[in-house]
Amino acid sequence: MSANPDNQKSWMGTRLPRKEDLRLITGQGKYVADIVLPGMLHAVFVRSDYAHARLVSVDVSAALEAPGVVAVITGEEMKTQCRSLRQPVLLPNLPAKYPTYYGLAVDKVKFHGDPVAMVIARDKYQAVDAAELVVVDYEELPVVLDPEAALAPDSPRVHEEEADNLMFEMTFTGGATDEDRAKNAAEVERIFQSADVVVKERFRVHRTGTTPMETRGVLADWSASDGLTVYNTTQRPHIDRLAFADILDIPAEKVRVIAPRDMGGGFGLKAPFYRESVVVAYACRKLGRPVRWIESRYESLMNIGQERGQINTLEVAASKEGKLLALRNRGIADVGTGQIGVYWGFVMPFLGAVEMPNAYTWEAGDTDLRVIFTNKACLTPSRAFGHFPTRFAVERAVDIVARKIGMEPSDLRRRNLVPRLPYTSVTGEYYDSGDFLKVWDNLMSQVDLPGFRREQAEARAQGKYLGIGFGCGVELSGVASELMVPMENQPGYGAATVRIDPRGKVFIMGGDAPGGQGHETTISQIVAATFGISPEDTIITTGDTGTTPFGSGTIGARMGSYFASAVRKACDELREKMTHVLAHDLGIRATMEEFAFTDGEIVYQRDPSKRKGFREIAERIVMFPINLPEGEVGGLETTAFFEAAKPMICFNADACVVEVELATGQFKVLRWLTSEDVGNVINPMIVDGQMHGAIVQGLSNAIFEEFIYNDQGQQMTADFEHYKLATAADMPDIKVTYASTPCPHTPLGTRGIGEGRPSAVPGALCNALVDALVPFGIEITELPIRPSVLWQKLKAAGAV
Amino acid sequence: MYPANIEDYQRPASLQEAVAILRGYEPGDAIFMAGGQSVMQAMKSRMVRPRCVVDLQAIAELKGITVDEGLRIGAMTRYVEIAGAGEISSANAALRDAARHVGDRQVRNRGTIGGSCCWNYVASCMPAVTLGLGAAFHLLDAQGKTRVVNAGDFFLGPLETARTDHEVLTHLVFDAAPRTGSAYRKWGLVTDALPVVGVCMKVSLDAAGRCSAARMSLSGLPAGAQRVQAGEKALLGSDGSRESVARAMEAVVDAVECHTDKWADANYRQQLIRTLGQEVAATAFARARGEA
Amino acid sequence: MKTIRVTINRERYEETVPERMLLVDFIREKCGLTGTHVACTYEGVCGACTVQLDGEAIKSCMMLAVQADGHAVTTVEGLASGTELTPLQQAFKAHHGLQCGFCTPGILMNMSEFLEKNPDPTDEEIRHGLVGNLCRCTGYVHIVDAVRAAAAQMRRGG
Repeated sequence: MSANPDNQKSWMGTRLPRKEDLRLITGQGKYVADIVLPGMLHAVFVRSDYAHARLVSVDVSAALEAPGVVAVITGEEMKTQCRSLRQPVLLPNLPAKYPTYYGLAVDKVKFHGDPVAMVIARDKYQAVDAAELVVVDYEELPVVLDPEAALAPDSPRVHEEEADNLMFEMTFTGGATDEDRAKNAAEVERIFQSADVVVKERFRVHRTGTTPMETRGVLADWSASDGLTVYNTTQRPHIDRLAFADILDIPAEKVRVIAPRDMGGGFGLKAPFYRESVVVAYACRKLGRPVRWIESRYESLMNIGQERGQINTLEVAASKEGKLLALRNRGIADVGTGQIGVYWGFVMPFLGAVEMPNAYTWEAGDTDLRVIFTNKACLTPSRAFGHFPTRFAVERAVDIVARKIGMEPSDLRRRNLVPRLPYTSVTGEYYDSGDFLKVWDNLMSQVDLPGFRREQAEARAQGKYLGIGFGCGVELSGVASELMVPMENQPGYGAATVRIDPRGKVFIMGGDAPGGQGHETTISQIVAATFGISPEDTIITTGDTGTTPFGSGTIGARMGSYFASAVRKACDELREKMTHVLAHDLGIRATMEEFAFTDGEIVYQRDPSKRKGFREIAERIVMFPINLPEGEVGGLETTAFFEAAKPMICFNADACVVEVELATGQFKVLRWLTSEDVGNVINPMIVDGQMHGAIVQGLSNAIFEEFIYNDQGQQMTADFEHYKLATAADMPDIKVTYASTPCPHTPLGTRGIGEGRPSAVPGALCNALVDALVPFGIEITELPIRPSVLWQKLKAAGAV
Repeated sequence: MYPANIEDYQRPASLQEAVAILRGYEPGDAIFMAGGQSVMQAMKSRMVRPRCVVDLQAIAELKGITVDEGLRIGAMTRYVEIAGAGEISSANAALRDAARHVGDRQVRNRGTIGGSCCWNYVASCMPAVTLGLGAAFHLLDAQGKTRVVNAGDFFLGPLETARTDHEVLTHLVFDAAPRTGSAYRKWGLVTDALPVVGVCMKVSLDAAGRCSAARMSLSGLPAGAQRVQAGEKALLGSDGSRESVARAMEAVVDAVECHTDKWADANYRQQLIRTLGQEVAATAFARARGEA
Repeated sequence: MKTIRVTINRERYEETVPERMLLVDFIREKCGLTGTHVACTYEGVCGACTVQLDGEAIKSCMMLAVQADGHAVTTVEGLASGTELTPLQQAFKAHHGLQCGFCTPGILMNMSEFLEKNPDPTDEEIRHGLVGNLCRCTGYVHIVDAVRAAAAQMRRGG
């Protein structure tokens, strides 16, 4: 596929092959595990075998004697030599119990996999050998595994310094005072009392997540003069920098964090600030030598990436005409230990509760959430941050209502979609712009529902069970400061530095840290379109705190919303300066708008003979800053910040067709069709890819993947034989279509996309399965949904 | 992660050399490496910590498929070769069914029938299939003595076989009787995963097209590969009709103990045995009739 | 320790290695060819470390380096000749068959052998061929598109 000619407009919306690809398909990518520094040592963690135990002693003497071993670090040392991870820079501005914890466990281990010691050796094989020699004496304690049982007054406590295991609770509806909330609850109760139809189900979603192919890795380097440099697989290097400084008590200007340009996926897992990074950085400073830790898959599956994990008892009231009236939800999240910097495990279910109402016009709502400590790994963010379970509950409940009143679920959805934006949901979430009905109608125009119903009836007559399911999702397009500051104690704005060099090449520096989303390509398309140059003439740097402006990271679909907008803003500032100087040189009075940036030239549109090459004007301003307009100085570099006035969203709707085999409950997704509002598209090929990946993550989460703990709290699924990811042969082809509305709040009309996208999947899938099995009246209220589960339901219903 | 320290690595060029190396070690201290697709997992997780690895890759006589009186498959013959082996006739076609769906392409390019049988992992296909086909296992010891063990005596439960540490499995021999067909199918959560349960069936038909001899085995259950004679008996006289197969599979379900784990409840496993049984019976009967 | 001779991407390496060293570590750390990746612990399920051993796709984490003594290995770095990408590499770029790129080298090494043996595969065959390579970004759709397109290109002689 060849790129379009250098034409200002054409770069936007072009399926431009990615700039990243050449190095990645030839093996020239540089991921953290590929970086080697002279004298580098290798770290391996010793982790707890128990979910809850007193640490009686940690004997490292034999390990210290083992060949190649340089040092062994324990929790006691971390506690005395470093601060805890409970630092203000890592704390949300929400009232919760924030446990104090260190790089390594102190006194007690609180989940299976809790890091107890770190062994450092010259060779990684020797480090593993020595780790086996660390002798830990544990005194087992009773484990807390069931979040509801954990609330009993006599339950053992995960964190003994806390009064109980209730980490966080909040009501999301009804106002700020108890009195207002009580009034709201009474109003909701009144609606339920008089409603034609009421549905109540307990929706349970298991622990699962998004598991990037590259595990975490940290390489720390220390220099007495320059301080600490950390190569870290992180989506938010600038926050990490502040956290390292505060925990290790190093002046922040002496800390540089570099998220390698090539990161093997993030999906939220690489967004928190992790304790292992602290121990590696501490050891590096202590030893004065580079130390690297590459997480094993076993550690990864045991420690991080476990999300979802909620029980939502949801009630929905509706009229017999299919108008959704009110929802009432009691949410419970099983947070594990709550020990993960920035998120503390509860921020995801918090946002999931906020996002629960989805795209529907509820008249009222009464929703709350309790987040409960258990002896499990702390919930870690995973794409569809917090709302995979709440969306599953609502999308299923809507279908159940539809069936109760004998309406097509798709008709009921359309009837209740928010007809006009902006809109504020019953939980207070602001939906800025878009056209939900347009997206929905685009989906339905491709479905031929009456045709499907005929096909379904004919198939059923032959013993073949087909079903169709629908779902939709309002997703955040970036996260505005008004939400980011309370939720994560960080700003939401986008920031970009743009520098034009004397040869007319454009350098873009951003503080975010992508992991495969194609930022180099999409940013180059924006810059090329803005300056009328080729994407080849752009160079993008991300992830390095030493060279990039402050950014909150590659999180929450911030690329198409905030980062892209900041880049455009910075480019516009430079266009202003270039045209100002050019007008002066041409001896004309003209504004920026009177010039076109096209085909590598800047052209005065009223008299196209007045023009100059982009490169020439860049060279003139950077290298020959004499005879400039009054007040102007040389140089072409600026940093711009972008913040929308209000939070922004994107929207999607899904339809899928499944076939179920009664005899075994085995099912196959035959087709998956989507309709998306992603605003103006920068690169449709990349957006398609984001949607494919998200939908398959959603399917894999819903069907195959599950983190399982046994009765002792042992993590039983810490390898890919037991934590099953969908393979290519298990997944359907996916058709992505668009019905976009440009976002009026971004300079390019773009929206951030992809982050929340898996959330619509489990509902749509299960709705299709239920639809296929309507003759037997089964319901699905729990995930994962597997053939075995479906078969048990069919058996119970007498179908087999 | 990484194997524990290994003191020695040997790559003998002959069988005699291979078994001679093992004589120098206590049982368990030296292990044979065939394709390594199971043993490497065990070594990397340090469940197995051999002092010496004896790599069988250079021994030509361990490789290959030949058809003479019966079917002879060298222990080091890889899945990829079995999967594509046209010389395997209907009687033993279950071998191809299994080999085509073991693991993935990369595993099939390395993994071997002998390695899988000698490892005898609880959830694996080849032990059940060789048992279902009634293979004869040919072993050679350090004294140069050979012995033949029938499949029924070879598999002694998960990770246990009749092969002693000082013996090498050289090849397997299968009957290739006429009017005989076999088939194997498994079910796992994702495509080609280790079997949650698998069914192997071999049937011989008389002139009237009725089952005159049958063998049946299962994979994936806690007992490991197991033959189910109750099912075999029930299949005798069957013409392959769904009803007759259903009766036989019911006898199987009654005879074996199914377990509940995170992948499937016991009763679901039983149901899979029934449905897989119908599928493999349809294929095995068709093959025996020369229709497939 | 053993001294082994392995040809990697047509270049001969003679190195002395511990018996227990995995082939993938030999490739990455001894030979400095870091295009081959590791994404699982001991299970050998992810396929990111896939290379070709004597022309066949295998998982280099499931082999000891000493076992490769006397053999020829091809890694992702050996696919393109000079700056000329193979049709498969070109198709992955043209069809956006990769996002983070971590699983990609393993997929390329598996699929390049697959296409030699299956020059005209169906989508179902491509998907079945990919079972040994986990990808977390793409949902496999564009990977299948890329392999299909590469097959067509190769059949045309490109």
